[in-house]
Amino acid sequence: MTFATLALAEGVPQLTLFAVLGLGLVSLGFLGFELRKREGAAVWVLLSGVLALLLVAAAVLRPARVNTRGVSVGAKVVVLVDGSRRLLLPSEGKTRRELALRAADAVSKHFAGARVTLRGFGTGELRPLVVADALAHTSPSELSDESDLSGALNALAQEPGERPKAVVVVSDGRLARPNAALDDASLRELSSALGAPIHTVAVTEQAPRDASIRSIRTSGATVAHQALALTIEIGCAGGLSCGDVPVTARELRQGVEPFVLAQGVAKMTGETATVELSITLDRAGARLVEVSIEPPEGDTIPENNTRILSFSVTRDRLRLLHVAGRPTYDVRALRMWLKSDESLDLIAFFILRTDDDNTETSEDSELALIPFPVDELFTEHLPSFDAVILQDIDAVTYKLLRHLPALANYVRGGGGLIMVGGPSAFAGGGYARSPLESVLPVELRVGEPPFDTADFVPRYTEAGRSAPVLRGLTELFADELPTFTGANTLGAARPNAITLWEHPDRRAGQRAMPVLALDEAGDGRSIALGVDGTHAFSFSEFAERAAGRAYGALWDGLVGWLMRDPRYEALRLELSGPCIAGLPAKVRLVRLPGVAGDVSLQLTRLGPRSEPVVTKNVKDPAPGPLELELGVLSTGGYSASARVGAAPPTRFDFACERGGPAWSDSRPDPERLARIAKQSGGRAVSSTQVSDLPVPDPIEVAAERSSVPLLPAWAWTLAASLALGGHWYARRRQGLL
Amino acid sequence: MAGRFTRRAALTVPLSLFSARAFAFGDGAAFHPRLLRAGNHQPLGVRSSGAGRWSWELVRRTSAPARLVAAEVAADQPALQAEPFAIWAGDGDPGPLSAAEVRGLLRFMRLGGVLVVDDSNPASGAFGRGARRELARVLPESAPVRLDPGHVIFKTFYIVDRPVGRVLGPPEISAIVRGKNTQVIFLQHDLLGALARSGEGFALETEPGGLQQREHAVRLAVNIAMYVLCSDYKDDQVHAPFLMRRRARQKP
Repeated sequence: MTFATLALAEGVPQLTLFAVLGLGLVSLGFLGFELRKREGAAVWVLLSGVLALLLVAAAVLRPARVNTRGVSVGAKVVVLVDGSRRLLLPSEGKTRRELALRAADAVSKHFAGARVTLRGFGTGELRPLVVADALAHTSPSELSDESDLSGALNALAQEPGERPKAVVVVSDGRLARPNAALDDASLRELSSALGAPIHTVAVTEQAPRDASIRSIRTSGATVAHQALALTIEIGCAGGLSCGDVPVTARELRQGVEPFVLAQGVAKMTGETATVELSITLDRAGARLVEVSIEPPEGDTIPENNTRILSFSVTRDRLRLLHVAGRPTYDVRALRMWLKSDESLDLIAFFILRTDDDNTETSEDSELALIPFPVDELFTEHLPSFDAVILQDIDAVTYKLLRHLPALANYVRGGGGLIMVGGPSAFAGGGYARSPLESVLPVELRVGEPPFDTADFVPRYTEAGRSAPVLRGLTELFADELPTFTGANTLGAARPNAITLWEHPDRRAGQRAMPVLALDEAGDGRSIALGVDGTHAFSFSEFAERAAGRAYGALWDGLVGWLMRDPRYEALRLELSGPCIAGLPAKVRLVRLPGVAGDVSLQLTRLGPRSEPVVTKNVKDPAPGPLELELGVLSTGGYSASARVGAAPPTRFDFACERGGPAWSDSRPDPERLARIAKQSGGRAVSSTQVSDLPVPDPIEVAAERSSVPLLPAWAWTLAASLALGGHWYARRRQGLL
Repeated sequence: MAGRFTRRAALTVPLSLFSARAFAFGDGAAFHPRLLRAGNHQPLGVRSSGAGRWSWELVRRTSAPARLVAAEVAADQPALQAEPFAIWAGDGDPGPLSAAEVRGLLRFMRLGGVLVVDDSNPASGAFGRGARRELARVLPESAPVRLDPGHVIFKTFYIVDRPVGRVLGPPEISAIVRGKNTQVIFLQHDLLGALARSGEGFALETEPGGLQQREHAVRLAVNIAMYVLCSDYKDDQVHAPFLMRRRARQKP
């Protein structure tokens, strides 16, 4: 198609046109004013003047004829395909994703005359989509947890260039945004920025027979030892009859069976029911809580019957139990340090009198002594403590023996334990062959004197020198340590335990006897300190050199490591992306500055079995973050324990889910798609009705353009000069000059 | 204070206690009353045996280990910083402390040490006044204050109503308190005099006298030792209801 128009000569700015018009009007005004009382021949003056003005204007503007040849192109149409992991839900023997891709393909074919762009939308940026490729292979890791259509439309509206004439959304309608509660006006706003109708294609309209955990909400922060309310919404869809659905919340722990935190029943009267469970997490740090339902018969999607939530549990105050068998300067130093820290909630019990002591009174009222509440402490109150410090206390004499199984379980369940040396610690206190020995970092030797009283200076091991737990101390004194008087007789360190200090003279098997060692025990950690003289870091000529700060440096590190304070870990572990069951997962290791050496990682499944499912070793890796492939993992909680060089290992717990939040509500929502289409002036169809979608009109686009002056510039100038001359002659005749 | 106490019980404690108790490895962590030497040299005479008796009573009555052999330590020697407890006793003005002694005592205090200033002649009070004057040079920012009757030192082991020593003395204790820690305890009761031994018996008679006064002096000594070993343990909330009930029973 070709058409012609008039235009100014190229290079003449638009402003010139206005200037010429203005001057012409002013000139005409003056001419009219001059001729206002004249008659007869004055009309020739007027006509010649107007002619002259027109020709002068033409000489300046040099009008040209523009010939344009145009072509008709198809309108721009953007097809947005839902890229949520929810679309991996089964439907009609396929997945919704497959149905969506085939529908998108059908839309492309239906809009064959238009310029169709396919994009995937989820929670991030819009992604280009090639249907054939996506049908051939879609990795769930490329999909999002949610479908944010509002974000996708906003992103589309802000893209530079040509706006689409129509947008087609292919989804099941279970969108995160716009949510179901959005009113019509807000829905209209969605399309107003685009200026184009939004058509929708519902990939499925049939809800599967499914009981699921729709949502889990928590109120407030997750603080250790404080009750936390979980509001769990259970859904029942697709005509499934659910009735009463039992709900259980369990904490996943390493080395032990999951611990049941709370149980309840959701009484289904309609499609949904809500149950509130109150749980209390006793241990701080990353904690995994599994919430599961017992679905009724006929449930077709078992993957959304369980959710694993990761809680970052903080502490209001660290709650410590300090039990000492006799008051000494060592007890004094530890108590004063513990009490000086306002963030610690210290519960202390010291044995101040034994049955052999003669207090010179039989009146209890004259003594400020209370009974040692051993049974109450180690049964009722034990779970409320973050860590227990047993300092030189005899387990037999003070009736601790019967509580040692519970104390060992407490450690395996995530508690911390420090056994501090003295004549009544370790084997000297009756702990050898007891259940508590199994959670200590060292074996205990029987049949030997439980301690010696020889002076010695402990030696740092390689691990001790590089461990962040002792960095505070080594920064003050390098690898110098004070002289200790005597040491407990400790056995060899357990296979995964780390010895930080060792005895220079005494042996435990083939190796030097550990003096300070630490280890993981199930979900908890434990430390063995086989001396009763660390008060020398706080009060001694040695301590005076650092103004007594060394004691705090040592115990800050020990308690901090016990409580998994990241400052005392040699590295930081995190997932490289979401862990989706059935797909390869990766972890990222970030090593602390100054921590070097080979990297080893063991991945175990949280639960009673502690065999590693993945083991990785990287020899002397390059500095910087390190990514390790964990392979394909199944649904569940995992604990990754990584170690750099000789430094103590760092632990990181995480969960892998098959569906996760994306599968929590399996119902499609075609009504929402219909509302979106209606408010934008579009049409809502099912995947089998794509041909009903209106095709936008094509756009005419200029393809060729030529500009030809009406007359050459010199001709306009000559004509203008002649006209001006004629006008001058007419004025002379009227006596106007 | 109606305790059951007899002279026989006081004098016939078996000596086997010295060796029967399993102390800490060596003696490093055990209570050790060291006699401070600072200012003018003032021989303590028989009172120097009171330090050993202090340990002996502590070991006999409580679970705490203690070193039975008293030692002397000079304020200007690094050994003062080796342990957190010392007793400064005398009966006359100690005179001005040397700069090295002031520095030594300051280091001791900064590490958190506890010093008992025991006036052997409270009637004149010369030693107490002189010690306060000199300690004001060591800790100029910390003036002595009177300890509240509810202070933990009165309940660390025994429930003690008032301090007594060889002499009855004033019914209160003044002390220098730094932060939450009572670091210098001023006694005007001649506590070492009450504990001093001569042969099989006590060396000095108590004034106004009586076995109960001696027993109460020993109890004060035990409480001070327990304060050194446990700091404010008995101020912990867990003890509060018990102690309140016992005090109520003592004062019907």
